[in-house]
Amino acid sequence: MRKPYFLLKTPPTTPEPAEKLAPWAETTVVGKPLPRVDAYERVSGSAVYALDLFLPDMLYAAILRCPHAHAIVKKVDTAAATKMPGVRAVLTDSDTEARIPWYFTEKGPTSRLFDPHCRYEGEEIAAVAAETPHQAADALRAIVVEYEELPFVVDLDSALKPGAPLIHEGGNQVEGTLVYERGDIAKGFADAEAIVERTFRTSCEIHTPMEVHGSVAKWDGNRLTVWDTTQGVFQVQQSLADALRLPLSNVRVIGQYMGGGFGSKLEISKHTVIAAILARKTARPVKLFISREESFLCVGNRPANTMSLKAGVRKDGTLTAMHLINRGAVGAYPGWAGVGSQVADLYTCAHVRVEETCGHINAGQERAFRAPGFPQCSWALEQVMDELAAAIGLDPVEFRLTSIPVVSQRQGGKPYTSTGLRQCLVEGARAFGWDAARGGHRRNGPWLRGAGVAACQWGWPGGPPSTVIVRYFADGSVSLNMGASDIGTGTKTIMAMVVAEELGVALDRIQIEHADTGTTQYATPSGGSKTVPSDSPAVRAAAVAVKRKLLAMGAEQLEAAEDEVVLKAGEILVAGSPDKKVRLAELEGLMNQQVVIGVGHREQNPLDKVTKPFGAQFAEVEVNERTGEVRILRLLGAHDSGRVMNRLTYQNQVFGGMTMGIGFGMTERRVLDRQTGKMVNSNWHDYKIPTAMDVPADLTCVPIDVPDNEFNSTGTKGLGEPATIPTAAAIANAVYAATGIRVTDAPINPTQLASLLADQRKRG
Amino acid sequence: MMGSFSYVRAGSVKQAVAALAHDGARLHAGGTDLLGCLRDRVFDAGSVVSISGIEELGGIAALSGGSVRIGALATLAEIASHPLIRERYPVLAEAAASAASPQLRNQGTIGGNLCQRPRCWYFRGDFICTRKGGSLCYAFDGENRYHCIFGGDGCYIVHPSDAAPALVALDAQVSIAGPGGSRTIAVEDLHILPKQDIRRETSLEAGEIVTEIVVPPPRAGLRSTYRKVRERGSWDFALVSVAIAAVVAAGKVSAARVVLGGVAPKPWRSIAAEAALIGHAIDESAAMRAAAGAVEGAQPLAQNAYKVPLLRGALEEAVMSLARP
Repeated sequence: MRKPYFLLKTPPTTPEPAEKLAPWAETTVVGKPLPRVDAYERVSGSAVYALDLFLPDMLYAAILRCPHAHAIVKKVDTAAATKMPGVRAVLTDSDTEARIPWYFTEKGPTSRLFDPHCRYEGEEIAAVAAETPHQAADALRAIVVEYEELPFVVDLDSALKPGAPLIHEGGNQVEGTLVYERGDIAKGFADAEAIVERTFRTSCEIHTPMEVHGSVAKWDGNRLTVWDTTQGVFQVQQSLADALRLPLSNVRVIGQYMGGGFGSKLEISKHTVIAAILARKTARPVKLFISREESFLCVGNRPANTMSLKAGVRKDGTLTAMHLINRGAVGAYPGWAGVGSQVADLYTCAHVRVEETCGHINAGQERAFRAPGFPQCSWALEQVMDELAAAIGLDPVEFRLTSIPVVSQRQGGKPYTSTGLRQCLVEGARAFGWDAARGGHRRNGPWLRGAGVAACQWGWPGGPPSTVIVRYFADGSVSLNMGASDIGTGTKTIMAMVVAEELGVALDRIQIEHADTGTTQYATPSGGSKTVPSDSPAVRAAAVAVKRKLLAMGAEQLEAAEDEVVLKAGEILVAGSPDKKVRLAELEGLMNQQVVIGVGHREQNPLDKVTKPFGAQFAEVEVNERTGEVRILRLLGAHDSGRVMNRLTYQNQVFGGMTMGIGFGMTERRVLDRQTGKMVNSNWHDYKIPTAMDVPADLTCVPIDVPDNEFNSTGTKGLGEPATIPTAAAIANAVYAATGIRVTDAPINPTQLASLLADQRKRG
Repeated sequence: MMGSFSYVRAGSVKQAVAALAHDGARLHAGGTDLLGCLRDRVFDAGSVVSISGIEELGGIAALSGGSVRIGALATLAEIASHPLIRERYPVLAEAAASAASPQLRNQGTIGGNLCQRPRCWYFRGDFICTRKGGSLCYAFDGENRYHCIFGGDGCYIVHPSDAAPALVALDAQVSIAGPGGSRTIAVEDLHILPKQDIRRETSLEAGEIVTEIVVPPPRAGLRSTYRKVRERGSWDFALVSVAIAAVVAAGKVSAARVVLGGVAPKPWRSIAAEAALIGHAIDESAAMRAAAGAVEGAQPLAQNAYKVPLLRGALEEAVMSLARP
């Protein structure tokens, strides 16, 4: 299987733009709070999501999954199912076309599509395609499977002990402990005047997007078209081509509207390949959507981490040393559960050591989940920072301000292209009314009030490859053709605004073709908060290429030099000669060709600098000292994500990120039964994501609007993920401020706080 | 996905009772619990007997003599917002308002709420537990954060209803129709413990239907309240809840019923808490004594010891909220 672009050692590139575009000085469209260009389609229901697709003669497929945490399939009897009404195909491991390798490490595959060795509850055993969804479900129930149940392990501590049930030959530890080290932590701790050391635990979190995962597959001869719920159509195209041994050109993947992914739709899932095989087998289109319950088991999660963090500080606020030991469970298949980069990079500290060990358990594989690793790291790091500040008698904001780096210590001391961390803290604190919120201990009956802060950085900047085409038509309307998906964040709106900015075209004159491998050009999946910083510069380059061609046509028609003409309000003008101008609608070159095409590529990132988004969030809470109930009164997010392209979509990301942070910090946890290894809360009732009642009405977004012009031609950095990184830690720090109780285990709620408060009362 | 079933729309209580006599027949009112159970394959239905069209089973009205009749089909939303209930029985209005989510309260009926099946995730999940005829209560040694601290015996569910503790606190009566005619019992006697019958949560016999609830007239000086603690602000069952109905005369409690939710397989009346209140003024020390009394004899499992301090805290608050009329 080819390596996905993000595993390549050398950063990929697309051709450098012919000219280095100067940063926008003033903008007329970019930066405005404009509603989404596809708002009507989304709200009215006319937007077609993959689930909405009904093709003539379409069959419905469903997957039979292993009910055991660890088992060997001895026999699958499909005889009865095959004969049931409406059943058109049954697929199992005994079909050679289904023997497709799956779950890869560097050494090769670790499993296959219907591997008889089932390593977690939910592994695929068989699939059925039938005329109706109900017939498919009935057929699944008629398949008889003989299992040999194996000993299992669902917690990492047990999994890493000698003698634990083996999930893979060679042991349950994911190969290699990652160690990062700089300086000498022994020396650093010896220099410290105060040291804090604590162990923190986070819970495994499930993505739970509104739209469940699924695909519709259709063959025309040897050409396959798949409509998929994906964050990246090209990623799915490549995986399908590999799995089915097809040329990329024979695989078309379309994913124009999708209903949330949060990382769980960054990569292909087995059901997509299964749908394609069933469609080929039956010569009919096949729709295969997994159920909500299945989605809790087999399309990813944020792994649980146990993090021991020790940190030393001098009384002047200098961080002297940090030592993080992290362990995380990746599930039954290859993955990574590291968290450490903020410990190594967010604050100035000479002596740092990070040790990360990951292991397998009999549970679903982890997947990237909105800022993978980072909220967990913040949960530990930002609570320790809070304690260190208290230990030396500094305000938590003041303390953080003493340790703001201008270089990336983790990446060889290279300077940042921009860092707004200081502004995030200072302007955030001012807007929040931090000093007033921290002043005094306020009580309202049994409710104790407190405020907390946490800061963050995010790891991925984005970059090439990206190729975009802009077409300018004879009537002045425009087609924007880009491969990137809009995963609900407003990507289409932002990109259309970039085109409008450069060409002076109204947004409603721009049509967008995107996220279709058959008609658009390669883009990386929309993940890593990198779509705007990766693709908007390519969009700008494409729009500028169109503009250059129009200007050249105008110069020729007006008999002027190319550097004398400018494009303004639909006209090409010659500087200094008010009479010499031509409307684009009368441009001879355009009338001749009927279309002008511009191709744009994403420029290379600067090699000698590092780019990261930064942020700081503030929380005010009330805690009931009798019950441990927590009311989040307000949250504020101050983020440095470079230029603010659109204040509305920006605010959406910050509010959505904080809302998800509330879930991570307060309510969400996967619960695996230790007796059977099965998940007991694989539904939306028992797995508790926050409701509207759990999110404060008082949410504030404070953008630190400083374009990062050294990074790319639009000055943008990512936002979607940073917005969820520090929320839970800020809430935990506010809970501490209110109660004096340091809650080390997430989530915080009465199921642990009631006991912690009772213990505190006993101690007096 | 649900199994298939036949659907019967009963025009009268008599028809419904007759239809329920068939094997595998299941009663359908609001359907909020039934459909979930069917979809999760907790059990299957041969037929679903809907009573939602039987008009006489609906409505909330005052009876002569000062009682209030609540038809079994009255929704939780109707109860929560009905002026009679809000004025006379705050504990019941508050309990109904705190249940589930707005959508579920609009659809769910009081009869169904009293008769709903437990929310234990082993019972609802893919586990053949004692309540489903198996030999193991998975919760006992398993994931028991939300399970009971009182009354467990071979099964450690909690009763999920918010309204039931309130109705027991108000000493309400429930009328039941069945193949053998009608009967009326105290709501307090409707629910049973696992040691009485591990397969059922109520004393309803096969084919019996809850038809109405009658709440006795409020006594002079009645103060009542419902306090619920949950993990999230909506669509969540109680971690613990407390329903109190106390009569205060001349500054002292002359009668009180304290009923706990979320801690036992049925609404759990705490005689010790009641005794701590009766004869005393409502103040912090009475609240503390009542709370201490309420947790006496609690037997937490490995993960639910938090319910003991939580119950104390919730009860203290509930009592203190009654200090003034």
